[in-house]
Amino acid sequence: MLEAFVFLTILLGFFGIIFKKNLIMKIISMDVMSTGVIAYYVVVAAREGVFTPILAGDPKGAYADPVPQAVILTAIVIGFSIQALMLVGVMKLAQDNPTLETNEIERSNTP
Amino acid sequence: MTTLTLIWVTFPFLAGFIIYLFPRLDRSLALTGAVASAAFAAQLFTLRSPLTLRLLDHFGVNLLLDSLTGFFVLTNALVTAAVIIYCWRSSRTTFFYAQTLILHGSVNAALACADFISLYVALEVLSIAAFLLIAYPRSDRVIWVGLRYLFVSNVAMLFYLVGAVLVYKAHHSFDFIGLREAPPEALALIFMGLLVKGGIFVSGLWLPLTHSESESPVSALMSGAVVKAGVLPLARCALLLEEVDPIIRVFGVGTALFGVFYAVFEKDTKRMLAFHTVSQLGFILAAPEVGGFYALTHGLVKSALFLIAGVLPSRNFKELQNQPIHTPIWIALAIASFSISGFPLLSGFGAKVLTMKNLLPWQVVGMNLAALGTAISFAKFIFLPHKNLGKAEAAQTLHNSPLKVGFWTAMGLLVGGLFVANLIYYDAYSLENVVKPLATIAIGWLLYWFIFGRIAIKLPRMFEQFEHLIGVMSLSLILLFWMALA
Repeated sequence: MLEAFVFLTILLGFFGIIFKKNLIMKIISMDVMSTGVIAYYVVVAAREGVFTPILAGDPKGAYADPVPQAVILTAIVIGFSIQALMLVGVMKLAQDNPTLETNEIERSNTP
Repeated sequence: MTTLTLIWVTFPFLAGFIIYLFPRLDRSLALTGAVASAAFAAQLFTLRSPLTLRLLDHFGVNLLLDSLTGFFVLTNALVTAAVIIYCWRSSRTTFFYAQTLILHGSVNAALACADFISLYVALEVLSIAAFLLIAYPRSDRVIWVGLRYLFVSNVAMLFYLVGAVLVYKAHHSFDFIGLREAPPEALALIFMGLLVKGGIFVSGLWLPLTHSESESPVSALMSGAVVKAGVLPLARCALLLEEVDPIIRVFGVGTALFGVFYAVFEKDTKRMLAFHTVSQLGFILAAPEVGGFYALTHGLVKSALFLIAGVLPSRNFKELQNQPIHTPIWIALAIASFSISGFPLLSGFGAKVLTMKNLLPWQVVGMNLAALGTAISFAKFIFLPHKNLGKAEAAQTLHNSPLKVGFWTAMGLLVGGLFVANLIYYDAYSLENVVKPLATIAIGWLLYWFIFGRIAIKLPRMFEQFEHLIGVMSLSLILLFWMALA
């Protein structure tokens, strides 16, 4: 169930990238998609248990897998920096294309 | 060797940041990074057995280096060195050299790693550095082209990440080997990401615009070295897992034909070169075990050609036909074109023979057709009119003299590399092997003279639009999934 919702988020983000006309909206859709991917890593990590894996005394329950969470942290940082970079590019483009419609930008910038 | 490898991976990044502290040393430091990589690649060729490094635990970083990596690293080093030398006297700022070095380092890292997460990190750093280099002139057009590149590659990498976690679920590590136990959807997702990054088959349609609209040194870097960061992992997977090998070979033939089909009809020099890059990546993948040598040859030729295309008076073949180019430039252009068409005495010949020898029977027809297409497309360059321009005119074409020294040094490095690399595989020189490429070139030129040089077909560029690029990803995902199931 949880997995289905996660995949739905990824798909919604993907369709947003295709169908939204505005460049900012496309970037936000990409963020939605990456949120879905991050959530999937968390779901995978919590497959066998949800307890923090700190070994001290008797375990109170099944531990969560720390590896996917650690790995996705890198991806979060990378995703966020790419988004920041893209938004700077969009700011620059917005000076000449105030509506930020992708079709318009594409038409005026392809040879 | 372990310590050396770690130093080699970190050095470009370290130096890339140090450059900002010592802006005066920018060019020298950047060149040092490239030379160090070349020296390390030479070390790799002396290795008896592949070097595997496992840092941390079984889910940690995994590096795999052998002579195949050596070829790719050498390509990256030579192309970066040539580009830095070319730009030496130009007015580019420290920022440009720092990004070049970081790009160089991230390509190195992507070539060395053998697990999906390190590869992901390397490829993302690579996209950021490449974006900054593409957008360096800060005009609206390059910013849009760069944004489009970053967008497409980031979306592809998101799919890739989902695939990577599926591998982890099945194998409890991110190693390439884990793909064997993973479900078919993992393979489809991961390969889709790598196909887009490497610019292969229909997923590579972002590449022509990006490579042709960047400045020529950046195009040279992108076409010569950067795309190979996506290609080597694919070849590596094919070598590690025999069940993946047929899929990679199918894509090799497909992309070789696809790229060359566009290249034959293209009327713009840089776009033709970019489409031709797509086709050459197919040659690397068609025979993954010997792809390294082909990658080296292609990297040298393509970066030389992009640098030359940057100093030609026009980008349109029609205009170039009415405007003779300076003879020395034409000679460099012709040598590079001959090499890539597979003419003996240049390394393109050995690379083509070696690849053709390692093909499976069903691939032969397709790859020969692609080789023919290459000969046709490069006839466009070889038959350009040329004459010895007077001093004043020559100065105008190679716009200003400070760049001239850098241009010819870079050409010396790249074109000289073609002659030297020719010696790597000297077994290729048998009568049969020599006659076949010559016949291919002859037929290609005839076809060019009588058919392709005369017709003007403009292929639609609709599929290069941004939304189509994203949409095609979902289609290639489905295609890959069925291929993985089959």
